[in-house]
Amino acid sequence: MIRPVLRAGAWPAVVGVSGVAVVVGGCGAAFPAAATVLLPICFVLLAAAAAFTLDEPASLVVDVTPTGPVRRTGIRAVALMAPLTAGAVVMLAAAVRGLALPWGAAGLALAGNVLLGFAAACVVRTRTGEPGAVVGTAVVLVLMAPALVPHVARWVRTFPAPGAGGLSSDTVWWTVLAVCAVAVAVSVGGRNLSPWMSTVPISRRRRSYPTVQPP
Amino acid sequence: MTATLEVGRPEAVARRATLVPLAARELRRFVLNPVFLFAVVMTMWVAWSRAGAAVTEIDEVNGYPAVFLGGFGMMAAYWLTRSMRASEPVAGVTPVTRPARTAALCWVAIVPFLCGILALLGFLRTYPLGDAAYGPFSPSARIAVLVGQIVVPSLGGPLLGVALGRWVRFPGAAFVLFLVIFGWVELVTILTISRPDSAPIAVLRLFSPFAFFTLHADAGVTAWRGSPWFFIGWQLALCAIAVLVALLRGAEGRVRARIIRALTVAGAAAVILLVLAAAGGFTHAVTA
Repeated sequence: MIRPVLRAGAWPAVVGVSGVAVVVGGCGAAFPAAATVLLPICFVLLAAAAAFTLDEPASLVVDVTPTGPVRRTGIRAVALMAPLTAGAVVMLAAAVRGLALPWGAAGLALAGNVLLGFAAACVVRTRTGEPGAVVGTAVVLVLMAPALVPHVARWVRTFPAPGAGGLSSDTVWWTVLAVCAVAVAVSVGGRNLSPWMSTVPISRRRRSYPTVQPP
Repeated sequence: MTATLEVGRPEAVARRATLVPLAARELRRFVLNPVFLFAVVMTMWVAWSRAGAAVTEIDEVNGYPAVFLGGFGMMAAYWLTRSMRASEPVAGVTPVTRPARTAALCWVAIVPFLCGILALLGFLRTYPLGDAAYGPFSPSARIAVLVGQIVVPSLGGPLLGVALGRWVRFPGAAFVLFLVIFGWVELVTILTISRPDSAPIAVLRLFSPFAFFTLHADAGVTAWRGSPWFFIGWQLALCAIAVLVALLRGAEGRVRARIIRALTVAGAAAVILLVLAAAGGFTHAVTA
């Protein structure tokens, strides 16, 4: 069961976007002056890669199989190793190059970025079989907001760069981690989401199908 | 000859008669796209919120229209182009060729382009050409800098989105490209700060659909090397390449051969204009 579920994953998208992130982050490690700009972009790309881990083109069939969403999502979560490993490689390269960054906070930012992409994908997966593109775009727009909109940068920081103002990145990412954990638990648990989230959620549709219980 | 003209004219009229309603329909879809609407609102909001703020150099503020109208416009155009993929088996058997449908899609870039012109006019009202924030550039070069940083990216972004949507199947291609271009511009700008007089770094800085031209330091506003006018030429060549690459998808026979020929010419023009952009203008960083 594990191998077919993993094999059906959107690996080209996850690995491809993670690869682009490694290139961008590698440039950040190679040019320390640009690290505080390029490493956040690398992390945003890794969040987008995480958003593709739950893509399931055959969702109409897969969603009515006896394998529940908890198990399917758990197996698919293995694919998160790709963006997490890519991020760890970039951070290692930056550390080897002698970059002076708070590595604990940077690691937390990496985990937060990846989990945010995954949690958003979990929530949207209850509505559509391939949430990657929409969630990836949304996550990119949200996470890039501090870099694109000057006012947002004054309020929050999504990367532990020295000298910036606003809410510290640690506070932001601990909060995000907590919210994401709840969002994943709720969406995977098959509970109905708020009415505005969906008109016909898959979890509700699934109940109308006769499902075969495993022996 | 006469016979050719007589046959050619009704064909051209028929082509136009098909293109106009198609383009109008795509325009309506593009204007209602939430990403594009968000981009327009953000451009207006940033312009409004920074109107009274003190600015030490123009590059502090003139990148936002390029990001929102160009970058977000690229994502919107990409989605618009991709949205037709599902109906391709039906649309593909209509008498309208795919290049004609692509041409109609390319026309949507007129909307962000007009928004870019409006943003430029608003910018000129807030920061008149005589402002010290422009640095040592001449008045005409100041106009060129603004056109190259506000108007042309607003046109080029959506065209790039159409080309990308026609050729790339990966649904996240637009935001990946947006982040790569954003990262590239930041990287080469930071490299330029450390070595402002380097010619190869000037080429790298201008080898992009968007480039910064000034930096504020204690001594004043520094203008980097490079010609803003030739940079506009390079950007327009990139726009032409984007349109031709988009049209190439699905083109057959003589049309395909003509597009490839035009693509070669546009590519050569782009290389020449990039070299001229890097070699022209100030030959070293100048502070005023």
